[in-house]
Amino acid sequence: MTGTLKKVDKKKPHTAIFDFFRDIGLDFIEGDIFVKLSALVMGIGFFRRKQIIKGILITLFQAVIILFGFTFADHYLSRFGTLGTVERVSVFNPETMRNEVNNFDDSFQILLYSIISIVVIIVAVAIYLQNIRTVRALEVLDRSGEHIPTFWEDIMSARDKKFYLTLLSLPCIGIVLFTIIPLLVMITVAFTNYDQQHMPPANLFTWVGFDNFKTLFTNDITSSFGYAFGIVLTWTLIWAFAATFSNFFLGIALSSLINNQKTKLKKMWRTMFVVTIAVPQFVTLLVIRNFFSQIGIANRMAADWGITEFLSSIGLIPAHLDFIPFLTDPTWARVMIILINVWIGVPFMMIIATGVLMNIPKDLYESARIDGASPFKQFVYITMPYMLFVTAPFLVTQVIHNINNFNVIFLLTQDVYRTTDQMLGNAGAREIDLLVTWLYRLTQEQYDFKMASVIGIMVFLVCAVFTLIAFNLVIARNKEDKFQL
Amino acid sequence: MKKNGLLKALQLVPRHLFLAILAVFWLIPIVWLVANSFNESQFMNFGRFFPENFSLTAYRLLLFDSESTVARFPVWFMNTLQIAIFTSIISSIFVLMVSYATSRMRFRGRRTLMSVGVILGLFPGFLAMIAVYFIMRSFGLTNNHWGLVIVYSGSSGLGYLIAKGFFDTISETLSESARIDGATESQVFRLIILPLSRPIIVYTVITAFLVPWMDFVFASIMLNSGIATDWTVAIGLFRMLQRELLATHFARFCAGGVLVSIPISILFVIMQKFYVESITSGSVKG
Repeated sequence: MTGTLKKVDKKKPHTAIFDFFRDIGLDFIEGDIFVKLSALVMGIGFFRRKQIIKGILITLFQAVIILFGFTFADHYLSRFGTLGTVERVSVFNPETMRNEVNNFDDSFQILLYSIISIVVIIVAVAIYLQNIRTVRALEVLDRSGEHIPTFWEDIMSARDKKFYLTLLSLPCIGIVLFTIIPLLVMITVAFTNYDQQHMPPANLFTWVGFDNFKTLFTNDITSSFGYAFGIVLTWTLIWAFAATFSNFFLGIALSSLINNQKTKLKKMWRTMFVVTIAVPQFVTLLVIRNFFSQIGIANRMAADWGITEFLSSIGLIPAHLDFIPFLTDPTWARVMIILINVWIGVPFMMIIATGVLMNIPKDLYESARIDGASPFKQFVYITMPYMLFVTAPFLVTQVIHNINNFNVIFLLTQDVYRTTDQMLGNAGAREIDLLVTWLYRLTQEQYDFKMASVIGIMVFLVCAVFTLIAFNLVIARNKEDKFQL
Repeated sequence: MKKNGLLKALQLVPRHLFLAILAVFWLIPIVWLVANSFNESQFMNFGRFFPENFSLTAYRLLLFDSESTVARFPVWFMNTLQIAIFTSIISSIFVLMVSYATSRMRFRGRRTLMSVGVILGLFPGFLAMIAVYFIMRSFGLTNNHWGLVIVYSGSSGLGYLIAKGFFDTISETLSESARIDGATESQVFRLIILPLSRPIIVYTVITAFLVPWMDFVFASIMLNSGIATDWTVAIGLFRMLQRELLATHFARFCAGGVLVSIPISILFVIMQKFYVESITSGSVKG
């Protein structure tokens, strides 16, 4: 299957971006003098074709961008290389009897506004280039003697041929403002020394190149990040796969058990499990955390029934404890977290599996029965392959979701779990931390933004590598058009 | 004949017994939550599963104690409701717009745009969140419910995939024939496709509506003033379980958990129904 896909890829010689630039080059060369002048003043091509309003608007846009470039963008971008040089100083002024603050540089503000400027400039350049294409297209239209759309007709096309622009513009602006720009800022923070000792506005921070990435992989007296990263990454991967596949298989098993024709009262059973989803996760997780706490009800019952004593005698509980460290001992906590996640996730999977199971063509089972296949064989050779085929994309997204599954770990262990491992503690990590909870606690508890950003980039790399492998192995691309009749 | 029937019935016992045991395991925490919300003493039950005396004290304290500086459930509920309504409206509009454009229209850069969406989805949400916090702070929108609405719905266009999957299944001949009759693309969207998309619209609206009720982390970063009347339900309930409050507020926490679960579970059931509908019967064949 991958072989044929590669062939399809090779047929497509260039990328969309290459096409974009080539077409603009051609349009510029082939266009008349007004098209070429549009590269200087964006509206000229429109004025020539009597699209006055459009010409004025686009020229105004150009003026605003140039103004923006020489004021705001220049103000911040000129200091982007150093991220500021003037430290904040507070001096007592005897005349006003007050402490006065000098005109200091705020490194974070410089970084943030520089990136906003860069994004604005990139967008403006794209519009500028696209403008050459538009103007050239107008020229071609004019030459062939066809009707040049009026301003009103242009606006109306935003409801028809160009409707996608109307639909996409606002959501895309939202995504640029609230995802792309923040991500760019945090990615660049990974290359600075922004941490508790370098907190704006009181202090400056500056570029340090790849030092933070080196720190993440070193393990010596100055840094135990290398050690912590190894442990946390391993646990993150174990957790992601264990959580995904335990839910997957147990959910399907539960669903087939309930949907089996021999089971009575299907609806009642289903409801009993679905009830657990209806309570918000943060409530159930916090309840469970107290249920299993040191003085909680689970420990009391285990003590009353002699379970604690028994576990102690076979060495499953550390000798100095007289309770079960459900969520406080590294190994216990890890196992409990996966089990509790089964409790949370299996009903979800059951609902999804029920939907898919109902869609398996009945004649498959019919012919299998005629050939004398046992129910177990039917499950192994029909149900599971079908489920795997249909839910493969879901499984991939589920692993990604679990790598980023903040809620379960955070709500179960925040304020409860303390690490006894000095080296982990120095790096601000705990045995049961995922990369994302580690990231969160680094920013909220240690204000170590630089290392948090590095870890964020690592999460991205892990997810990206996994997605690439999984999608190439499992999922055929270009499936979407097949479903469109 | 009768003996055979009895044997058959006996064979059914292990299966149902097994299901019953599983169901008990799944229901224990829920039952414990409900039981504790009716606990007369406000402490957490250490010794016994069910409380000694049942009463409605926790609910009364939770709903009518307007003096408390830590437990202001009615205020939290209204805050969250307000945030949820606006988030839901903006997010749903964004999601439907993006999914329609990427599903039903063909334009230059469509695939590039979708790939960018996939790549952005691979970054952990918190990474962006930290910078979003600083951006919102520089606009004075932290500790502000509108700020939270903007944070929840700003990037919601990225969650377009499920709705796109639904639009993909609607037959192209429908929109084609409308276009032949002279309909513009926006008319096709509003008059042909949207009326056929009730299940996915309901699903999208409810999913977006539920976000502020379920989210703890973003809300706690954005609303960090420590003033109880600013909080959402999730932050409020979480704070009740802090070490110094746990002893006196556990029953109230449980009562709050029960109260917030009721509307959410109703919405959840409706959402599930429409989700299944959108998957199974969604494909309208022309």
